[in-house]
Amino acid sequence: MEVAIRKEDLFACIQCGKCTGSCPEAGKTPFNVRMMVRKVLFDEWNEEDLLWFCSSCGACTVRCPRDVRPSEVVVGLRAAMVEAGRVPTSLYQALENTLVQKNPWGRSKNKRDEWTAPLDFQIPFIGDGDLHTLLFVCCVQAYDPRCQVIPRNFAKVLHTAGVPFGILGRKEVCCGNEIRRVGEWGLFRELREENSRNFKRYGVERIVALSPHCMNAFRKEYDGVVQDVLHYTQFLWELIREGAIEPKGEYPKRVVYHDPCFLGKQNGVFDEPREILRAIPALELLEFSRSRENSLCCEGGGGRMFIDVEAGERNGERRVKEAEELGAEVIATACPFCLLNLEDAATVLDAAIEVKDITEILMEVL
Amino acid sequence: MEVVVLAKWVPVTQEEELKLVRGEKAVDLEEIPFRLNEWDTYAIEEASRILEAHGGTGWVVSLGGEEADTALRRGLAMGLGKGALIETEEELVDPFERAQIFKNFLEKKGIKFDLLLSGVQAEDDQFAATGGILAGLLDLPYATMVMGIEEISEGEVTVLRELEGGFMERVRISLPAVLSVQTGINEPRYVSVTGVLAAAKKEREFLPVDEFSEGRKGRIEILKLEFPPPREGAEIIKGDLDEVVENIFEILKEKGVR
Repeated sequence: MEVAIRKEDLFACIQCGKCTGSCPEAGKTPFNVRMMVRKVLFDEWNEEDLLWFCSSCGACTVRCPRDVRPSEVVVGLRAAMVEAGRVPTSLYQALENTLVQKNPWGRSKNKRDEWTAPLDFQIPFIGDGDLHTLLFVCCVQAYDPRCQVIPRNFAKVLHTAGVPFGILGRKEVCCGNEIRRVGEWGLFRELREENSRNFKRYGVERIVALSPHCMNAFRKEYDGVVQDVLHYTQFLWELIREGAIEPKGEYPKRVVYHDPCFLGKQNGVFDEPREILRAIPALELLEFSRSRENSLCCEGGGGRMFIDVEAGERNGERRVKEAEELGAEVIATACPFCLLNLEDAATVLDAAIEVKDITEILMEVL
Repeated sequence: MEVVVLAKWVPVTQEEELKLVRGEKAVDLEEIPFRLNEWDTYAIEEASRILEAHGGTGWVVSLGGEEADTALRRGLAMGLGKGALIETEEELVDPFERAQIFKNFLEKKGIKFDLLLSGVQAEDDQFAATGGILAGLLDLPYATMVMGIEEISEGEVTVLRELEGGFMERVRISLPAVLSVQTGINEPRYVSVTGVLAAAKKEREFLPVDEFSEGRKGRIEILKLEFPPPREGAEIIKGDLDEVVENIFEILKEKGVR
């Protein structure tokens, strides 16, 4: 899993171009994934800086008919740069921060549970009592003021429904999903070790991840330390289906759902977020022309949240414009990176459109 | 070229709610993460570049607890050849005392160097004094706020110093010399976790501070630490977005901002 792609595997590439055809950076940036594979194969790859355009959306890997896994080739090449000490300044800071404070923003690790402060109930520590379902909060939602509302909403729903769960609080550290994708495998291994140790120590049997990026890491890159890993939309849909919670209030708005790459195309969770939205009375669900497997990446993955690159028109803005053309009043999503990028795009464009996490819509109707 | 760099392992306290302990004479660092002092990172990078250009050996030397070994390993991973940790669990706040220990170490170990680099200051106590005092104790020429090392020739180094008001000063100093390096002098290379782990195989010495305590005397005694009093005069502007914006706009206009 952490081994760079072997060059002999790249001989499988038939240069069909499906990778470049689906790449959200192709055309608008000089990064061309098909050319990269070819050049690596012929030892001609010398355009290191282009690698930082990749947002690890995984479209190339999902669509490749020969299982070449181009997005992993990017990770392998980035790893060589990291080991040689050549990383963009903005990424340098994010990596140092993650090493010291266990989150890319460098916020104090002792404040990782500060998002819980406004709640009028206590969320138990996963190690206290007979708790086996862990809410994994993720760095963005633990610290970012815009996103802190998401774990609070989720916790309120579970608290009201009487579902037992716990958190790791200050013991939670970055899942490392993006850290691995920028090529810092050593740091990723450290983070994985620390989280895994805590999962085992506190008897975690089920993880509910708020971010699709964390979910992806636990499912695919943690050696199966916890088998039962869900995204929060899957967990909430379970609760709605069982009747444990019921969206009663009306939400009479036209809502378009944006599939996050790490939830949708990389992990096949397409339906649960939509089912939740469909279960809300009066909500009209719209679809982007590029949805589900073909969803257009918001460019928040693969470390792009921390790396400054000039990547032409932002995909977030393209997304917001398309939502406006569809007549949507709200873009709903279920990933903190997507939320921040789309909301920022809507602000920049001064668009009359709201960007909401699914829990935010749910809180208005429960 | 022989280069020695001083490196300090410091607590990262910026965002912490600090607690005072030991009769309000110390800060509780139990739960606080540590890192290599930022200024020293630049000094190590500068030393590595000098060695890459001129050849020679680089030392990274730290004074602190056993966890400061990570400071050595980072220095080694960045290109220096040898590390030494002068071990003490005491918090040595006095730069005179620290400098005396470093002097004793260099002399006792017989380390001959052309350049000794330190960061301008450490993030924790911010005395910005150890480098200068050490130069004084060793009776060596010294420059601080070094923003560029332009030329190293036989027996001399030309450096750029940052002065007040944005001026730069170019000075030529005879070697051996002590330089205190400012941040921004270079862009330090990233050191991967794997690199730091691998550096554990490089040559390091762990030496008890007692071996270098001759003439050591702290001139500073901490009587009491206090938090600065909360300042007044902040105004929290409330209301909806338009009101807040209007309000701020008025205040800025009143203050003469154009």
